[in-house]
Amino acid sequence: MKYFKDLWQTLNKPAKYLTLGSISLTAFIMGIIFWGGFNTALEATNTEEFCISCHSMESKPYQELQATVHWSNNSGVRATCPDCHVPHSWGRKIARKMEASSDVWGWLFQTVNTSEKFEDKRLEMASREWARFERDDSLACKNCHNYNSMKWETMSKLAQKQMKSAAERDQSCVDCHKGIAHTLPEMGTARAPQLIAEVGTGPSSFTNEQPYFSALTKPLYFSPTGDVQAGTLNVATKVTVLASEGDRVKVAIDGWRKKVGLGRVIYFDFGINMLTAQLSKEAAKTDGIINGFEEKEDTMTGLKWQRVETELWTDAEYLITEQKPLWDYARTTFRTSCSVCHTQPDEAHFDANTWPGMFQGMIAFVNMDDDTQALVQKYLQQHSSTFVKEAH
Amino acid sequence: MTTKQLHKTTESQSKLKEFKALGFIIVVLFPALCVAAIGGYGLIIWLIQAMGGIVPH
Repeated sequence: MKYFKDLWQTLNKPAKYLTLGSISLTAFIMGIIFWGGFNTALEATNTEEFCISCHSMESKPYQELQATVHWSNNSGVRATCPDCHVPHSWGRKIARKMEASSDVWGWLFQTVNTSEKFEDKRLEMASREWARFERDDSLACKNCHNYNSMKWETMSKLAQKQMKSAAERDQSCVDCHKGIAHTLPEMGTARAPQLIAEVGTGPSSFTNEQPYFSALTKPLYFSPTGDVQAGTLNVATKVTVLASEGDRVKVAIDGWRKKVGLGRVIYFDFGINMLTAQLSKEAAKTDGIINGFEEKEDTMTGLKWQRVETELWTDAEYLITEQKPLWDYARTTFRTSCSVCHTQPDEAHFDANTWPGMFQGMIAFVNMDDDTQALVQKYLQQHSSTFVKEAH
Repeated sequence: MTTKQLHKTTESQSKLKEFKALGFIIVVLFPALCVAAIGGYGLIIWLIQAMGGIVPH
């Protein structure tokens, strides 16, 4: 304390021995040294060498980057870590540096020092970066990429259409281009993480001839090992497991299809537009994949319907034993999402064929991923007047 | 100790004090304040952004 008191006394009166010249010269030189040093330090922490000096950065993101176009390409320009992950303007850069101080914490407590820990956290970390990119309208991308400099005529028709409409809205790049520099997080759960957290990923072994329910929209395959997709199985659909092999199971799907075109869409029941599965053209054309039975005509639409059964393979995960948790999750989502703007109607207010139109008309106002959307729509249809009336 | 010697001691003592004080503020205090101020500025921008605000760039 006395030290500071003395110090203050010395500082508070004119210098007796130091000359004005020597004081200002010292201050001037120190100013230069400080500012130079500060910027050098800032630059040093903004180099790739600094980023990958940490093992978890070197072993995962850096290795993944090397397989992408941002590492090597025809023009020989490459993006380094800070090009995308640190804003270029001074103020934001400082803010980012402060934010990054939490990474030091992570390094100290070894939050992601092993491959397993890194994978566990990948979704969380990626989500944080996506949020940052979204907030900045992908400014980090746009430091190099520019909508105005895009050569439309060399793009495919589809790319042109998509990019032009994105350019009009000056859309954020990562809206579509996710996972282009690093591996995407496990997208199975990333599709509807909250839903999966609620209902689980399903049992590890299955009992044959027992019913199971899909917890996500799932791919269907022709064989237990092949990669060729035969279509997709809609969420919350009841299937019967027939056999297990490796990490796939053979499931029996039944329902009704409209006798129009290839008739590759399978619905829940006669005359009810509730999706069960959508098969690929190839699957629909292959003999023995879809087995047709009795036919009936829907007097309302004049369409012929046919009862069908099919047996295909699907991944063993996200098949759960009960349907109720799915409906519980859907009910909560429906109630909370819709009541933001209005009193949501009763589930039984509309019938199963009216709900999709109603629901799709409103979906633009809420933020719901595809799986949750499909689930909520199915929940509404399943609990619509069509079925509730029958239950009475 | 003569008066002259005593005078000389206090003189060199306060000269040392002045040097120390100069060294302290210029080498330690001001750089530290400067870093703190810049850090604080960054923190404020970060907080604004974290609360959903848009910071012009």
